[in-house]
Amino acid sequence: MTLFSSLAHEWAFQRRDRSLTLWLFLVLVLASLAVAGGISEVEHQRASIERLLEGDREDRIEALSQQSDWGGAAYYAFHLTYDSPSDFAFAALGRRDEDPWKHRIRMLALEGQIYEHDAGNPELALTGRFDFSFFAAFVLPLVLAVLLHDLYAGDRAAGRHALLVATSGRSSAPWRRRAVLRVLAVFLAALLPLVVGGVISATAPVKLGLATLLLFVYTALWGLICYGAARWRASSPVILSSLLGLWLVLAVVLPGAGKLAVDRLVEAPSGADILLTQRETVNDAWDVPTEVTMDAFVERHPQWAAHAEIEGAFEWKWYYAFQQVGDQKTEALSDAYRSARRTRDRLAGRFALLSPPALFERSMQRLAETDLRASLAYEQRIRDFHSRLREFYYARMFPDRPFDAEGLAGLPQYPGGEKRDARDG
Amino acid sequence: MNTLLTIAAAEWRYWRRSRLALAAAALFFMLLLVTVVLTSLRVQAERDERLHHQQEAEQTFIDQPDRHPHRMVHYGHYVFRTPSPLAVFDPGLDPVTGQSIFLEGHRQNSATFADSAASADLGGLARLTPAVVYQLFGALLVMLLGHGAMVREREAATLAPMLAQGVTGTQLLLGKALALLGAIAIMLLPLLGAVIGAVPRGETLAAGLALAATYLMYLCVWGLLTLLFSALLSRRSTVLAVLTGLWLSLSLLLPSLATNFTARSLPIAGQIETDLTMLADLRRLGDGHNAQDPAFAQLRSELLQRYDADSVEELPVNWRGVVAEYSEARLTETLNEYAEARMAQEAAQAALLARHGWLTPFLATATASRALAATDLDHHQRFLREAEALRIDFVQGLNRLHAQELSYEADTNRNRDAEAARRARVSADNWQLLREFRYAPLDPFARLANAGPSLTALAAWFAALAIAVTLIGRRLSP
Repeated sequence: MTLFSSLAHEWAFQRRDRSLTLWLFLVLVLASLAVAGGISEVEHQRASIERLLEGDREDRIEALSQQSDWGGAAYYAFHLTYDSPSDFAFAALGRRDEDPWKHRIRMLALEGQIYEHDAGNPELALTGRFDFSFFAAFVLPLVLAVLLHDLYAGDRAAGRHALLVATSGRSSAPWRRRAVLRVLAVFLAALLPLVVGGVISATAPVKLGLATLLLFVYTALWGLICYGAARWRASSPVILSSLLGLWLVLAVVLPGAGKLAVDRLVEAPSGADILLTQRETVNDAWDVPTEVTMDAFVERHPQWAAHAEIEGAFEWKWYYAFQQVGDQKTEALSDAYRSARRTRDRLAGRFALLSPPALFERSMQRLAETDLRASLAYEQRIRDFHSRLREFYYARMFPDRPFDAEGLAGLPQYPGGEKRDARDG
Repeated sequence: MNTLLTIAAAEWRYWRRSRLALAAAALFFMLLLVTVVLTSLRVQAERDERLHHQQEAEQTFIDQPDRHPHRMVHYGHYVFRTPSPLAVFDPGLDPVTGQSIFLEGHRQNSATFADSAASADLGGLARLTPAVVYQLFGALLVMLLGHGAMVREREAATLAPMLAQGVTGTQLLLGKALALLGAIAIMLLPLLGAVIGAVPRGETLAAGLALAATYLMYLCVWGLLTLLFSALLSRRSTVLAVLTGLWLSLSLLLPSLATNFTARSLPIAGQIETDLTMLADLRRLGDGHNAQDPAFAQLRSELLQRYDADSVEELPVNWRGVVAEYSEARLTETLNEYAEARMAQEAAQAALLARHGWLTPFLATATASRALAATDLDHHQRFLREAEALRIDFVQGLNRLHAQELSYEADTNRNRDAEAARRARVSADNWQLLREFRYAPLDPFARLANAGPSLTALAAWFAALAIAVTLIGRRLSP
């Protein structure tokens, strides 16, 4: 018998098992709900970005129309930055629930703006959404445990085991075939909604292919674990309880311990320190002699050295220079904060090797660009855009170029639609 | 009563001999102990750190030198939310909400630096806290202990002789329930320890006991569910498989599906989006930095009339300071209107999510637990409101200084030279106007009232299951 025909034969036999059909149907429904929920959230986020873009543009035009100098324009004009959900974000919403994916910034010190937190309702973020990666990482293994744990023990308890061994050539062939069939059926029932969701969301085929492979490997791994446990000569409640215990250890205990350990191991500067340093330097600038600020500014921007003399009590270029210097003074702390997050994430990645569910979820979030690296990459895009804003205004403010509203047409645009580079961050 | 005790004691003896029961219990207590200790240490450290930052921020503000009062409006202040004492048991929203807010004039900033932003990502269930251990693992342990209680007697064919010897079905079920209740009581000891430990740190015993009672009821719901299926089904393996499916649905599936449903049925626009609408409104209010703004024409004529003056220079108060105070008040009205609207929407979402507690005791318990531990959305919003109250308080205090302690003449000439700038300052003694900010949770009865709807749902689960088990007990047959 070929593998295929033996599986087909087994399927014809298994089809009559009503609990199997029920579980498969449940997997199909749950996976569909997860995918639908993800797609609906991604659409909500896209629509929200569309509305923001519109409102942001109108607000800026309105604000700029009342300005008569470059400094005022830079002060009153806000710019929307955002991180559009990727074409696979529907499957793993990841950090998009907790981390902000939109900011409105202006040319003031960036460290005072970039930590603003316009994220969703924390109550929902805490309970967590039902997205595909959550479903597959945590629910699927339990379904497999319920479907496979009784494989041998059931027949043993019913007294059929010896008979079946005697009638089939090899002692474990019928059960192995049954296990393979069940795992395959669960895999397909979960995969189908994912693929449909991918087609609807126009996911890049490579990503969808990788996700399929990931899901297959993950399902197969849990299939093997459950099959291994099922072969154990114990009663089925003992096997099922042990599988539940194993699931708890792999899905909850190890990741929980890892999270605690990693956060403890890698010190991150406290956010309060970043904010306080930032505020102190920006505010102190009003009291220190203007030359001190301008010298610190020119050190980083030697091209404006010739225009760095401040005559009056207030000049916009001095004002923006001390904003810039405020960022410079906070740089070390801010870099340390980011690198601590990166280090924690790297360690978490290593730790996840011990926990298949965590590894699977992280891999899905990587594919969906909803992980920490994507958050940091977005933060970097805000920083890049902010420095382009600064360059734009510095080039007009420092040489004292006369203000003209037409010149504002050349204001840098936040590169939202461009293809993102997932490697940075 | 004796019969009940005999039955319960027999069940206990059975568990003591069962390696599965012992291993599960050992795992549960080990995990609980570790999370209780680690969460306590972490939350305690955070409490100290944030309190320290708070005091530091207050001292820095007061230590500022003589300045123009409006400089201090922009200098601003920081407030920190210190976690409640019971956060050592259930940190709730603390890790996902920002802990500090920068308070300044003309703006309401958001709470920044949530722990979760910098924390390692290890999957959706990695946020291990003592509360989660009870919610997920506690339920599972009760289930593992109790699933065989009735069905075992049936499978071993001991049920018929027992019933024949005059033990009623109700007695048998009550005895098994008593055994489970004993186990649950022991399971709750670490929780009791944690809430009693919170008392010296400023928590009331009432809140702690309410929390313990909530978990008692939750675990009893699981105990009753377990007994129910154990009495209804005829094979032990089926009982466990069904209970596993139920646990999976009630603890993992329904809560997160309810989140999806809530987000979908009550969508909320983000802060930036509502701010955009608000900015358009605000532009009509006038810029408080610019006393010439036509928006203040009416205020000026009123003021001139009141003091019988011809120009703002003749006023006994500093016109620029008056405008600053007036426009800040108007601005804050608008800001608060939008902030309140957004908070009301968030609260509506939270309430809708909590209503799903009628579908799953897990959600009812988790919601009630956060409310009682003072780590729910309501407390976060109280923090935001208190921070705003402090903001408007010191900003308006500074604006009044601006209007009354600084002459208009010195104020308008402040940019002329260094000496003029010096004259446009007020004494640093005035910075004492900043109030101390110590965030304190609601009193236990208010928290209990907040937890009310969820506790009602949980009690309904308990009552319905108790009735079902009683009915089954009366009709129990071999």
